Amino acid sequence: MMNRRDFFRVVAASGATAAVTGCQRTAENILPLVVPNEHIVPGVAAWFATVCRECPAGCGVIARNREGRVVKLEGNPDHPVNQGALCARGQAALQGLYHPDRFAGPRLRDGAALKPVNWDAAQKVVADKIAALRSAGKGSAIALVTQLETGSLGAFLDTWTRALGTRPRLSFEPFGYEANRAANRITFGRDAIPYYAFEDARVVVSFGADFLETWLSNVNYARAFAHMHTFRDGRAGTYLHIEPRQSLTASNADEWVRNAPGSEGPLALAILKVMVDEGLADRRFGEAVARIDVKKVAADSGVPVETITRVARAFADGKPSLAIGGGMAVTGSNATQTLVAVNLLNAAAGNVGKTVRFGPDSAFGRVTPYAETARLVQAMARGEVEVLVLGSGVNPAYTLPGGLKFADAAKRVGLVVSFANQPDETTALAHVVLPDTHWLESWGDYSPREGVAGLMQPTMAPARDARPMGDTLLALGRAVLGSEAGKGPLPWATFEQYLKAAWEPSVKGAWASALRLGGVWKETAPVAVTARVAPVDPAPPTFEGTADGLALLAYPSFRFYDGRGASRAWLQEAPDTMTQAVWDPWVEIAAETAAKLGIARGDVVRVTSPHGAIELPAYVSPTLHPQAVAVPIGHRYAPYHIPRYVTAPLGPRNPVALLGPAAEGASGGPAYLGVRVTLAKTGARHPLAILQATHDQEGRELAQHVDLRAAREQALRGRQDHEAHTSMYPDPRYPGYRWGMAIDVDACIGCQACVVACQAENNVPVVGRAQAAYGRQLQWIRIERWAEGKPDRPTNLFLPMLCQHCEVAPCEPVCPVFAAYRTEEGLNGQVYNRCVGTRYCGNNCPYHVRRFNWFQYEFPAPLDVQLNPDVTVRQLGVMEKCTMCLQRIIAGKDHARDERRAVKDGDILTACQQTCPTRAITFGNLKDEQSAVVKFAHSPRAYHVLEEIGTRPSITYLQKVVREHA
Amino acid sequence: MGAKAGVGALALVLLAVLVFLAVSSWSRQPAVAKPSSQPINFPHSVHVQTYRIDCQYCHSDARRSEYAGLPSVERCMGCHKIAGAALPEVKKVADYYARSEPIPWVRVNKLPEFTYFPHKAHIRANVKCQTCHGPVETMTTFGAETGPRLTNDLLNLVGLRPAPPPLTMGWCVDCHRRQNATAGMHAPLDCVTCHH
Repeated sequence: MMNRRDFFRVVAASGATAAVTGCQRTAENILPLVVPNEHIVPGVAAWFATVCRECPAGCGVIARNREGRVVKLEGNPDHPVNQGALCARGQAALQGLYHPDRFAGPRLRDGAALKPVNWDAAQKVVADKIAALRSAGKGSAIALVTQLETGSLGAFLDTWTRALGTRPRLSFEPFGYEANRAANRITFGRDAIPYYAFEDARVVVSFGADFLETWLSNVNYARAFAHMHTFRDGRAGTYLHIEPRQSLTASNADEWVRNAPGSEGPLALAILKVMVDEGLADRRFGEAVARIDVKKVAADSGVPVETITRVARAFADGKPSLAIGGGMAVTGSNATQTLVAVNLLNAAAGNVGKTVRFGPDSAFGRVTPYAETARLVQAMARGEVEVLVLGSGVNPAYTLPGGLKFADAAKRVGLVVSFANQPDETTALAHVVLPDTHWLESWGDYSPREGVAGLMQPTMAPARDARPMGDTLLALGRAVLGSEAGKGPLPWATFEQYLKAAWEPSVKGAWASALRLGGVWKETAPVAVTARVAPVDPAPPTFEGTADGLALLAYPSFRFYDGRGASRAWLQEAPDTMTQAVWDPWVEIAAETAAKLGIARGDVVRVTSPHGAIELPAYVSPTLHPQAVAVPIGHRYAPYHIPRYVTAPLGPRNPVALLGPAAEGASGGPAYLGVRVTLAKTGARHPLAILQATHDQEGRELAQHVDLRAAREQALRGRQDHEAHTSMYPDPRYPGYRWGMAIDVDACIGCQACVVACQAENNVPVVGRAQAAYGRQLQWIRIERWAEGKPDRPTNLFLPMLCQHCEVAPCEPVCPVFAAYRTEEGLNGQVYNRCVGTRYCGNNCPYHVRRFNWFQYEFPAPLDVQLNPDVTVRQLGVMEKCTMCLQRIIAGKDHARDERRAVKDGDILTACQQTCPTRAITFGNLKDEQSAVVKFAHSPRAYHVLEEIGTRPSITYLQKVVREHA
Repeated sequence: MGAKAGVGALALVLLAVLVFLAVSSWSRQPAVAKPSSQPINFPHSVHVQTYRIDCQYCHSDARRSEYAGLPSVERCMGCHKIAGAALPEVKKVADYYARSEPIPWVRVNKLPEFTYFPHKAHIRANVKCQTCHGPVETMTTFGAETGPRLTNDLLNLVGLRPAPPPLTMGWCVDCHRRQNATAGMHAPLDCVTCHH
């Protein structure tokens, strides 16, 4: 009798004659190492601790090295800042490491092109020019601009500038929080940014601070926020957010208060006034708000008096509470005064020293204020700068306000030297490029706040011909000074040597253990401050542009930061959670404005300010304040994206180009909220690639919520048993483990970190804009946004959606080849080598989580090196989906077997769970009654998505807890 | 007539069997590559039988990794600096070492890339190397006699040669089943254990 497998064999053989010639196997070599590396066993991962440098937050990272190549990044659980979590940008850093556009060696400008040269030739050009300027006594014509470097590299660079007699180094960060520092100087007499202890606050009020996206240290604060806000044992803190736009951070608030652009300061003062008037704050704060008329503030800001009163009472009730401000989008000409008002609120509520802690001050306090950078650009424009050296990570041609005209000024500089390791808007102006090693290939250290000193070590050999910036500058400096290694002001042979010498006094021989831990952490003594109470000017910000224009809210993208993340295709394809748009940027226009101008979603709109114009497709928003229009900062494409993933944009799309050059007077910071723009339809259409068709659940209750009061009652009374669904199939039995997951919708903030982590772990390809628009994206997990309530003030629910691993899975019985089947451990398995691509399973999946390989997707070199060797790379015509990180389950079981024990709760972390900043995801054995996942599954808030269809998912969701007033 | 028909039927059956074998051996993934000339004529038989060297002395990653691993050139030289240093094949090893070059061994055993085979778990379960790799200790040229090729299948059919391990999925699964049934093991049978 012929069995099924033989049948396929014969069927396959009928095509044999055609295929025979293609079946010859070529001999394959296996190469042993000549001398083995004792730290690396082929097939076994080695982990190296370092510090993420994708933004100045400085989270700890551990890099998973397989066979000499880093394949995955995870948060360092021992690092005090991120405590094991990592954001989407951190996860995507690997795509910077293996970026196809990375420079392979130095470049020298030859006309319009940058031509490859050798290191000696490139360095000679720079050294000769610097030496000539020095001998002419023109050291001040040499300028060095780097990103924020707090550790040894910063100290080394300053040694270098002194040794060569150049201008002092600028620590340039586009988002520098100058106004926060200035306000702290005024109120507390301390030019620093404190640590904000969200975890200890009971009520948080944010005045436009996007602390779940980019503000200061988003992973740190997201973790602390989850601790404060997520419902646990009947307790949950309150979070109120005031901003003209419903940002991702705003949509996580229990109440989002929409105010007129720039009115945060007056609102903060009105709240303080109410607190003083109602006796909720010390009388001495009355002096600061003597001239405040709450009714006038209400009228100007569009926030009703009742709302102001309610926020004031909630804030005073917090004990401790926490008020924060200074999001870039709301940083206008009145930013310092606004933040002084926020400081007074904290002081009046008694939060200083409790939730506002000076002592563990943020590294942002060391950023060179924007005004200094602007002065340098003006000096460049006057021809006073002849050599401009730009460190890696800075891209002033893209990130400086358009009104400053950096590109024009740079053209007057004789020699622009860039250390960037991939092309950007600034290398397009550079004469010499000396590519720096990627931070995953470099020695270094970074201290994101006092008391936390993270150590960086190379996690692999450079993927491209690159040299550490420190090494190159040492070579340049010695060439200029004519000194030898070991002598003179720059004696170190390499920057690594400098670093180790700098660390020796503090680690005292314990270098290896500090390296293994990822750094050295110390308790920092708190610094006591007293608040100076003085009247605050409640003036609105000043705007350039026509009075009838709309205020431009240029806000940092949580995916791209200031643009440095945009070259990573994973981040381009992880949708913006609020709009669900991928790849393209957009201009967010209020529904009222759009109706007036006849603009529909996808219409190309020209946004004009006094400093320039950009053209972007429109996204019509029911929530945006009608006096505002919002454009995300940071959307740019890398050369290799075009035309592989997107078509080339027709014109500039950077909102920063629309901003004026003026610095905010009090702080010297940039004014991101400083221009009014006009909108005009161009007549062209550019539909956005939006991955979620609707945000309306249509009563399906996919993402569920429960009232805080009801949640508390349930927590006391316990769970009411659900009615079990009957099935026509026999109940499956699980001889060993049964894996399952719990996802707390109350904790999910929609940050997309899990989406990118999964893509990195599971070799998920990038499909590009056009395919994504067809709904052919391949990510195994997605964050759905569901809006409840009034369309203009919705409560947003974020629902991570992935394969539910149903016990009665609709995908399984429809598969003609048994590629989809139920494993012994309760997973829904997908066998790629069996799959013939009928797509019946995908059509029958009610959760729409199965993904089909419509094409043979490529991993452009050297991105293919990043592929996880433990996961099959799927090919054309194969269906795929979440495996619950099966390779990690297998590794966890293997590890437990080595120790002759069963898998313990917490042994196995899925990639999405591991990276989640708010710990919204829990994975474990559903047969272990003591496991965290079972405890969640028995929670009164537990439910299954589409429970009524009887699929019996292995994933339990926990309802979001909404506050009564929301 | 009866006898003639019988012979005809037998011939037909034989032909069918041969055709089926040819087809089946073609369509099976060749887990073993063609015996090719290795860069160095390395006799496993001498190392294992004459000098009693344990498999894991050279393939030392087998107990800790997915891959069994090949000895580094340095490890070869650990013995061959002295032992047999004058032999022409050993001189080739010394030459590679002197040039700091890896020896370009030709792969013999290969599973398809959608299959994950961890050596470590099998060593832990006390599976002998020979169970899958055949009697390597007797081989002068490794892999010359194994593999699901037509000649092997025919020779096996007439009993001229013991069946070499074919390293096919059915063979793996049969062994797992047998171990579970007879030796009280818990060898996994889930597809996704090896295909993920």
